[in-house]
Amino acid sequence: MASIEIANVRKDFGAVPVLKGVDLSIASGEFAVLVGPSGCGKSTLLRLIAGLEDASSGDVHIDGRRVNDLPPRDRDIAMVFQSYALYPHMNVRDNMAYSLKLKRTPAARIAEAVGGAAAKLGLEALAGRKPRELSGGQRQRVAMGRAIVRNPKAFLFDEPLSNLDARMREQMRFEIRKLHRDLGATSVYVTHDQIEAMTMADRIVAMNAGIIQQVGTPLELYDDPANMFVAGFIGSPAMNFLDARARRGEHGIAITVGGTAFCTLPQSLSLPEDGHVKIGIRPERIRIGASGGEGVDAAVDMVETTGAASVAHLDLAGQPLKVFTTERLQFAQGQRVPLAFDTGHVCLFDGASGDRLR
Amino acid sequence: MLEPYLYSAPALLLITVTTLVPIVIGISYAFRSVMLLDPTSGGFVGLDNFRDLMNDASFWNALRNTVTWTASCVAFQFVFGLILALMLNRPFPGRSIIQPIVFLPWAIPTFLIGMNWSWLLNPAIGPLPHWAYALGLMSTPGNILSDPDYALLGPVIAGIWWGMPFFAITLLAALQSIPREIYEAAEIDGASSFERFRSITLPFLAPTMVVTVMLRTIWVANSPELIVVMTKGGPADASQIVASYVFTQAYQGLNFGYASAIATALVVLLLIYALLLLSIRQMMLRAR
Repeated sequence: MASIEIANVRKDFGAVPVLKGVDLSIASGEFAVLVGPSGCGKSTLLRLIAGLEDASSGDVHIDGRRVNDLPPRDRDIAMVFQSYALYPHMNVRDNMAYSLKLKRTPAARIAEAVGGAAAKLGLEALAGRKPRELSGGQRQRVAMGRAIVRNPKAFLFDEPLSNLDARMREQMRFEIRKLHRDLGATSVYVTHDQIEAMTMADRIVAMNAGIIQQVGTPLELYDDPANMFVAGFIGSPAMNFLDARARRGEHGIAITVGGTAFCTLPQSLSLPEDGHVKIGIRPERIRIGASGGEGVDAAVDMVETTGAASVAHLDLAGQPLKVFTTERLQFAQGQRVPLAFDTGHVCLFDGASGDRLR
Repeated sequence: MLEPYLYSAPALLLITVTTLVPIVIGISYAFRSVMLLDPTSGGFVGLDNFRDLMNDASFWNALRNTVTWTASCVAFQFVFGLILALMLNRPFPGRSIIQPIVFLPWAIPTFLIGMNWSWLLNPAIGPLPHWAYALGLMSTPGNILSDPDYALLGPVIAGIWWGMPFFAITLLAALQSIPREIYEAAEIDGASSFERFRSITLPFLAPTMVVTVMLRTIWVANSPELIVVMTKGGPADASQIVASYVFTQAYQGLNFGYASAIATALVVLLLIYALLLLSIRQMMLRAR
C-alpha cells in the first residue's frame, strides 16, 4: 500500500500535448477514479504511473520514491486492462501465477496466493480453463486475480468494465468496490463512465483536454462543480445550462433568461463585466406544476418514461430544459407548465470561460 | 436425391479435371516405360521403375542431398527471417524504406538469382571468392561451385538469400497480430524482454511457424531451379537433389517413366512429412 504523487507532469506525443501539467496526490489506500471524455489524457496519466509511458517532464512518486526512471516491473504495481490482456496460451491458474513464477517464488507460496485469489473471486472451478473458454466477466475476474496475487503497492485499472454488458458491469462495479474494501489497496481507476466514477470513487479526478478540472468526493463534484465541464459531465441526465443575463440590483443579482425574470441570486456572487452568464440547474432539482416558484413557466416538448422515473423535455424561451422526476407525468405537447426550484441549487457560470462564479 | 450432388458437381468437376487427372496420368508414367527417343516404348512395366530406383546409387545420393539442401535452406531462411521480422516489428526511422528493400529478393525470378549468385561466386567476375580468401576462409580464391565438397553450398546461400523475406513477411504479419496489452501486462508482471519473447511471442508465433516451415520445406525440396542454373547438379552429382535429378532424368536422359517414378517417391515422402507437421500443429492449437 502506498501513496502516489504526481508533480507537474507533462506528456507530449510528438507535437501534440496530451497532459499539460498535472498535479495530483493519491493517499495510501484511497480509491481514486480518473474520469473524462476520450482523449482527455486519463489513460496516459495511468500509463505514466504504470511506467508504460515516460513523462516529458515532471515527477511521479510511488510510496515516496521517484519512479520516473524505473521500468514497470520495478514499480511494484499491478494493472487491469480493458482488453483483459490475459495470456491466451496459459490457463487461469498459470495466468495468475505468472508474475510470482518470474520472481522465483516457492511453488507452495504460489499455490497459496493463487488459491486465495481464486477463492476471493470465485474462480476455483475455472482454474484449469484457458481464457478463450471464459466469458467476459470471468476473464476480467482472472485479470483482477492476476493483480491481487502479487500484493502490489497499488492497483491500476484502465477502463476494466468497458467491454462488459450493462448487467455484468453493474455487478463487477460492486465486486471491485468490495475487493477494495477488503484489501484496502491504493487504487487508480480510469473510466469515461461518470456512473462508475460516482459509485466507486473515494475521490474523483475529473479531467478534460489534458488538464485536471476538479478533484473531490463524488458528491462534492456533483453538488459543487468547479466549472461547466464538470457540471455537465457528472450526473445523468446532464445538468441544464441556460444562456442568461445577470444584473446586480438592490435585493440581489437578477437573472433573466430570454428577457424574462428567472430568479434572484445572492449579492455575494461575482459577475463578469458584460453580465453574460450561464446558469446551471440539475434536472431533478426542478419541479413541474408546483406553486411557490418564481413564476417561471415552459412549454412541454416531449416526455420520456422509464417506469421508475420520467424525463420531461421542455422549451424555456427557446432553450432546451430537462426535468427529472419520479412522478408519472402526462402532458400534451406544447402545454405550458409552471416550474419551481430552490435558488440554492442554481449554479452560476461565466458565460465566456465556463468557470464557476462564486 | 440427386440435388446435393448437382450442387457440388461444378466444383468436383473442376478439381477432377485440373488436379486429379494430371496427377493420375503423371503417376501412371511411373509404371510404364516411357523413353522419348524410343517410339516402341510406353508399355506397362509394373514396379520395374521403382525396383531400379531402389538400386540407383544416384537417387540415394540425391535424396541425402535433398535433406541437406532443404534442411539448411529452410533452417537459415527461418532463423534470419525471424530476426528480420523482430527487427522490423519495432519502429525506427526509415522503416518504411527498409521494409520493402528487405522483401525485394522475394520478387526476383529464381533463374536470375541463380545466375547472379553463380557470378558472385565465380572468381573470374565475382568478388566473393577474393573476400573469402582475404579473410582466410579459402586457401585460394577458387569457385566453390566446381568443388565437389562445397558445390551444394552455393545454391544453399542463394536459396537462403531468396527465401528469407518469405519468413520475414509471414512472421511479421503474425507478430503484428499480437495485442500490445499482453506485452504490457507481462512487463508489469515482471517479465524481462527475453522472458516476454519466450512466453508470449513464441507461443503466439508457433502455429504460423509450423505452417510456414511446412510450406517452405515442400517448396524448397521441390525447387530445382537454383541448382540447375548454378551447378546442374554437378560436379559429378555432388549437388544433385531429387528434384533436379528428376529434371536430369527427364530432359537429359529422356527417360520419362523413370523420372516419374522418382517424382512419385518424392511426393510420397513430402506427403508423410506434411501430415506429420500438420498433426503437430493440431496438437499445438488444441493445447492453446
